[in-house]
Amino acid sequence: MGDTFLQALIAISDPFTLLLIVIGVLFGVVAGCIPGFTVTMGILVVFPFTFTMDPVSSLALIIGVFVGGYSGGMISGIMLGIPGTPSSITTVYDGYPMAQKGEPGRALGIGTIASFFGTLISIAILVMFGPLIAKYSMNFRPWELTGLIVFALTLVAGLSSAALLKGLMAATIGLFITTVGFDRNSNLRFDFGITELSSGFEMLPILIGIFAFSQLMTNIEELRNTQGTSRKSIDTNVSIPYRQILRDISQRKLNIFRSSIIGSLVGALPGTGGTVANFVSYDLAKQFSRHPERFGEGMPDGIIASEASNSAVPGGAFIPTLALGIPGDLTMAILMGVLILNGIQPGPLMFEQNPILVGSIYASLFIGAFVMVSCQMVLVRWFAKISLIPQEVLVPVVLMLCAVGAYALNNNLFDIWVLFAFGILGYVLLKAGVPLTPLILGVVLGKNLENQMFRALELDSSWLTFLTRPLSALFFALAVASVLLAVMQHRKISRSQKSQAGT
Amino acid sequence: MTLMTRDRFLAIVTLAMVAILLVESGSIASKTSWQPYGSSLFPQILLVITGLLATAILLKSFFKPSKTSSPHRSFKEVVVEKQKIILLFIIFGIYALALSYLGYLISTLLFMVATQALLLGIDSRKKWLINLGTSFTIVPLVFVVFRYGLNIWLP
Repeated sequence: MGDTFLQALIAISDPFTLLLIVIGVLFGVVAGCIPGFTVTMGILVVFPFTFTMDPVSSLALIIGVFVGGYSGGMISGIMLGIPGTPSSITTVYDGYPMAQKGEPGRALGIGTIASFFGTLISIAILVMFGPLIAKYSMNFRPWELTGLIVFALTLVAGLSSAALLKGLMAATIGLFITTVGFDRNSNLRFDFGITELSSGFEMLPILIGIFAFSQLMTNIEELRNTQGTSRKSIDTNVSIPYRQILRDISQRKLNIFRSSIIGSLVGALPGTGGTVANFVSYDLAKQFSRHPERFGEGMPDGIIASEASNSAVPGGAFIPTLALGIPGDLTMAILMGVLILNGIQPGPLMFEQNPILVGSIYASLFIGAFVMVSCQMVLVRWFAKISLIPQEVLVPVVLMLCAVGAYALNNNLFDIWVLFAFGILGYVLLKAGVPLTPLILGVVLGKNLENQMFRALELDSSWLTFLTRPLSALFFALAVASVLLAVMQHRKISRSQKSQAGT
Repeated sequence: MTLMTRDRFLAIVTLAMVAILLVESGSIASKTSWQPYGSSLFPQILLVITGLLATAILLKSFFKPSKTSSPHRSFKEVVVEKQKIILLFIIFGIYALALSYLGYLISTLLFMVATQALLLGIDSRKKWLINLGTSFTIVPLVFVVFRYGLNIWLP
């Protein structure tokens, strides 16, 4: 393990790769601090620039965006009161009041240091548990892998929004999209006589189309709804009180540790992500505090809980993505797509076949954390200014980069049409109340599910084997349980809504 | 009168698509002795599940109408409300078409100017300056980065 990590560090310490991490972090912070832009969008925008890079360099850039993005969300939250990403919502609760009291530098500094420790602790958890889970999952055979993928899809479909039926339907549509073109037995499916469809859809234009278009169009709609309200002006002349921040942090070590562990654990669960981690750790910090009544008025504990937990999410989320090949959330699904396009299939074998690449992911996260803290401390006032870039300018630029990215993948104009078609589909489905995360997860996992399912049936033609093998049966039982649990949860919510309406 | 709600529309369109694709799946090569389950089985399973879920959404819309759905609006009202979004999609479609005829630089410049004019507006000199400044900086910059930095030819 130590050797691998050292080899990975050597691979990463190439000046060009280090520069890529710095660029990635800077871009990630910018992406995170612009409200409505999100980390996922940041990854999609930089991805085309990685096409000609080797896997270590391209991962270094993308992980830089990850680390920067998760911490960058706090900037607009603290300065404007608008969270840059959904995973920094609770940062606003205490960060914005602190900034309003004339201490924006203190709020930003506390958030940055908490993010830094959150990232480091989550890397430690990833390094400890990633290989262990991968080693254990080496025993998984096609039946278990089929069950695991079905479980991940039902879990995400159940958790992603209040519409379970639509979530499940989105997952099956996502899976279906991957059946277009030649299958593993070289039989052509659903090409409708269009030659370009015979090789199937490229994953990237689908992912960009579904996610980016729906997100950008929603931003435009929100712009329309907020028209007439004046844009907030901010004082970006921020000074960082380093000593005060060090005192704040050293008095709250337990909060940092607890929130980072929560972030890592929540990140490792499919279908949850930064927003859930954010709320859980904020709530716990409030419960454990001696002054819970002061939360929401500019308490350092609130900022620490929020930022340490959301920055710990990527480390945790990497565990199922790398060790099992099952991405836990939208950002990881996109990242898994990036790995697949680089010719790397995440899963237990990745630890055995590509140990240096796995090590370089750890090392990139590690170096990224240091770059993030340095950049944030030095450039925070500039980042605060960037968070004011208007969506009217941003949306056309991102749409153009999406088109260029889709084209550059194979130098094929057809991919831009694929992007466009899935952009319309994603937007229409979103407007129909269909959650898009299960759809994207279905697209990412579809080929693997079909391959595993039919490999299992080729080894043993009985469908019952899926239920007679203990682990496989457990995953299918968990899949059913997750659906039932989601149904019960929805009933509970609608009952409480009814009783609220009645009072 | 039975209203065409959002959920009903979604369910009916999905069911129609499922029906078309199920018919189409009949033309996929059938199973052989070395491929006992055939290439059409997996998509057919998915289509059947999708169809069942769409039917459930349709039935649920009659028995448990969604309380969160917005009030019924005419097609014209929706078009007016979503005018900018629809225009943005149309401009993107034209851009995709123009790329193969005009190449990256001209078509992307036109796309950027048109979309920013749509979103920012064209009622002041400042807006035009932002529009043209952004377009004429970013479009050539992206071209140079891809062409000379990454060695990727843009159309």
